[in-house]
Amino acid sequence: MPELPVAWKPQAENVVFGKEVSRIDGVDKATGFAKYSADINTPGTLHGKLLQSPYAHARIKAIDVEAARKVPGVKAVYVFPDRAPRTNEETGEPIYFEIEHEGQPIAAVAAETSGQADDGLRAIKVVYEPLEFFVDEFHLPRAVELGRARPIRAAQQGDLEGAFKAAAHTITGMYGIQTISHMCLEPHGSHCEFTDGDHLTAHLSTQNVSGTPGQFASPLGLDAAKVHVSCDYMGGGFGSKFAADEWDIACAAMARDAQRPVKLMLDRATELNIPGSRPSAFAEITVAADADGKLVAWDSHHWGTSGPQGGTVAPTVMPYVFEPKNRRTRATGIVTNRGPDRAWRAPNHPQACALTQTAIDDLAAAIGVDPYDLFLKNLDLTWSATSRNPADKDIYAAELEIAAKLMDWKAKWHPRGEAGDGPVKTGLGLALHTWGGAAGRGTCTVAIHPDGTVETFSGTQDLGTGTRTALAVILAESFGLPYEKIKVHIGSSKYPMSGPSGGSTTIGGVSGPHRRAALKALGRIYDLVAAKHSVDAGTLTAANEQILSAGKPVCTWAEACSLLGPMKVEFQGEGPANDGLTSAQVGGVQMAEVAVDVETGVTKVVRYVAVQDIGTIVCREQAKSQVLGAMIMTIAYALSEERIMDNATGRFVNADLQHYKLPRIGDIGELIVEFYEPESQYKKGVIGLGEPPVISGGAAISNAVANAVGQRIPVLPLTPKRILDSLRS
Amino acid sequence: MRDFEYESPTTLPEALAILATGPGCRPLAGGTDLIDHVRVGRLAPDVLVDVKKLPELNILEAGPKGLRIGAATPCFRIVAHEAIQRDYAALADSAHIIGGIQIQNRATFGGNVCTSGPAADSIPSLIALSAACVIAGPQGTRRVPIEQFCTGPGKNVLQPGELLVEFELPAPGPHSGSHYRRFIPRNEMDIAVVGVGAAVTLDAGGQTITAARIALGAVAPTPLLAEQAAQAVIGQPVGESTFQAAGRAAREIISPITDMRGTAEFRTHVTGVLVERVLQAAVSRARGGRS
Repeated sequence: MPELPVAWKPQAENVVFGKEVSRIDGVDKATGFAKYSADINTPGTLHGKLLQSPYAHARIKAIDVEAARKVPGVKAVYVFPDRAPRTNEETGEPIYFEIEHEGQPIAAVAAETSGQADDGLRAIKVVYEPLEFFVDEFHLPRAVELGRARPIRAAQQGDLEGAFKAAAHTITGMYGIQTISHMCLEPHGSHCEFTDGDHLTAHLSTQNVSGTPGQFASPLGLDAAKVHVSCDYMGGGFGSKFAADEWDIACAAMARDAQRPVKLMLDRATELNIPGSRPSAFAEITVAADADGKLVAWDSHHWGTSGPQGGTVAPTVMPYVFEPKNRRTRATGIVTNRGPDRAWRAPNHPQACALTQTAIDDLAAAIGVDPYDLFLKNLDLTWSATSRNPADKDIYAAELEIAAKLMDWKAKWHPRGEAGDGPVKTGLGLALHTWGGAAGRGTCTVAIHPDGTVETFSGTQDLGTGTRTALAVILAESFGLPYEKIKVHIGSSKYPMSGPSGGSTTIGGVSGPHRRAALKALGRIYDLVAAKHSVDAGTLTAANEQILSAGKPVCTWAEACSLLGPMKVEFQGEGPANDGLTSAQVGGVQMAEVAVDVETGVTKVVRYVAVQDIGTIVCREQAKSQVLGAMIMTIAYALSEERIMDNATGRFVNADLQHYKLPRIGDIGELIVEFYEPESQYKKGVIGLGEPPVISGGAAISNAVANAVGQRIPVLPLTPKRILDSLRS
Repeated sequence: MRDFEYESPTTLPEALAILATGPGCRPLAGGTDLIDHVRVGRLAPDVLVDVKKLPELNILEAGPKGLRIGAATPCFRIVAHEAIQRDYAALADSAHIIGGIQIQNRATFGGNVCTSGPAADSIPSLIALSAACVIAGPQGTRRVPIEQFCTGPGKNVLQPGELLVEFELPAPGPHSGSHYRRFIPRNEMDIAVVGVGAAVTLDAGGQTITAARIALGAVAPTPLLAEQAAQAVIGQPVGESTFQAAGRAAREIISPITDMRGTAEFRTHVTGVLVERVLQAAVSRARGGRS
């Protein structure tokens, strides 16, 4: 028969695809059978630990590790590249390494016990020359004065002056959002072991199984083919785990030196500090509307820091989603001695949304209209993440309507500050977002055994999102099998290459290749069944562990597979492809209801609604979990989570879970997730969902608090202190 | 983490004998603070003397004379104790919010008091309810009012070789009620930015406050007995203006610090708010409300 057409099954025919199913690895995770990098303890594993800079900015004038090598139990000592003073060969001048932030690794030790590793670290002598440091992210004039500000990047379009002059309503305000850490539940790190002399096996907590062997190989002087990266399970990355990091290289180098396995996982303080953060952003914004409430002009200057690199939120995403025709955006990055940034779930978008859609909400309050109506009226000014073309405003309008129903917005909304008597004020807020989510690169090998067993091999990874389950569901639906029976092999760089999990590219990146491979396999099996049973291959389908012809059973799945011959047959899948299985571009609307105690400043999220379009849904339960996780992360950065830098010492003072305030269960409130899914969404193809639901909630919660207390609390997180300071000033 | 020896005596004299051997000995109750301090290197004891097997430290008795709480009584027993819930409710409030359930199963009031943190959740309740600390040592047994027990952050009156054995609380009279509440930015499992405990006694009509003790945590180097705040309500009618007067008085006597958990100004403001709310709740309990 001709090749089966590449498409998902008609929606009505799906048995497990798009349905609620439990994770195939849920029991393994809940019972501890699932092994994470930190759980790997092959015999003889040494404890690896880091020596880190206590200074935010310093030169290393000398390092002496010889005493550490003699400490009982210490089996390897490693000095990070360039840390030790060198001499410029041409000039003879000494070259000293410049520490750029507190916690920067300098050396590492591997020892028989954790205590001996500590003893080894204490024996290392480092002479520092402390330098002036700067960790103030907020005060731009101070940064300019100290030469810490990068040149302004500006972009302008339309007639700004004329538009402001003609506008009926204009507001100016200050907005901000503080730096946060990735806070992966499982810290960064690896277990490294050499076998056969020069073959490295690295159990690395990574979002990039297929991409990291080469990153180990190069600095270690190995062939990439001699490095095997393994990551069966991992506990969150959020954009911070794409690399074999320098401490992982240290771990591997010490394993080679000691000829023993070494495990080096970051401790919690280090995990919060050095392997990534989301840049802060603060802005002065003026925005204007005409007499009808149509946005006509925007002028913003935002600043913030990504740490030593001095970056800030990309000006290209400002203003966020709503784009008045006349506009100017300016951006200033600040160079600080703070731990460096890494991509954090939807890079740039949460900050841009928190700056933009709070200002627009303030404009609605100034005009005296319900922000719901103002947002609705301006949907034709929205852009989409995949192009600068207008977004599908009908989808936003429909999502606004769904969210409003779930929130009971029209009944509950009150004008800003009119929350009644008593110390606890309630309020509503909303915001919306956009994201691409196109499929990443991916390949897979689907093997069908003559006994009907199905397994797949793919060098992708499951960050906790449910990738493993999604692959089982796709193959199960394709072959008409129970999804629990599909053997899924992922998390090894020995498997067919699959792209890094970032930017919401994974589900598209793995689902397309698997469906394609499955259809190839089905075509082959249908041909064999057709020949054997004298039926038309074009009438065959697979369901209920059977092959059916025009709905009538012909043979069992296992009988069909036995026709493949005595050996398993493998089918390769590749992607992405432009065949309709996957696509890009999603949006969503979020609404929050909060209760603020204006005597103590404590804010509770009462109800939080997320409405999201995501194209074709593969695993409904896991998709919902993605959104729920994003909402919890959002409540964290909206209300309590922030890195507190001490201007006097340059240190990150709350780098522990006691003072780095993540919400507790009781802080979460009622979460409602609703997918916008008319038939057109199913036909759209699979699109990633990792980033979008974490974008707009910060603005929505800030808007709800403003609605409750009667004024904007400018900077997220909205801690009790910030709220009381604003209310009492 | 530094290695240490572990002793587990079963009689009080035996425990005191071990503690007398040197300053490197440290009593271990639930260990939820102590072990963490050893882990991060803040403390480096040579010997940990487990006091959980000492009968004297596990007493939990309520009678006409009052309440006795052994120093090694874990929080969960205090939360679940009916007489405490009824007559010493502030203690149950405190025990209920120290850590999560696993911590409450392990952590003890004695340990919380001996850690002597300014933000300890048990101490304002014990102060409000007039607890006395019974201390055994090489020189015999002595009693110290709980408000005099702490002498600074992490410091207290215990001398080398001494062991906190139990708390003695007088029985509250009729029409009495107490409450403890803390301010934390999150809903649960957090360290108090301000903590307030109060115990009040009303006249038979429930309209006038005849006796009161108010205690404040996390707003000075040690938990404070706020006598001025109590004076502001004793003899006064129950009502908002009385509570506000206590709140104002409390704000006057504290000396909070500014740190990442709150500025001095913020703590001062919240102290007043909390004193008012805690008094309201204590009065409600004195009138027969159980919440």
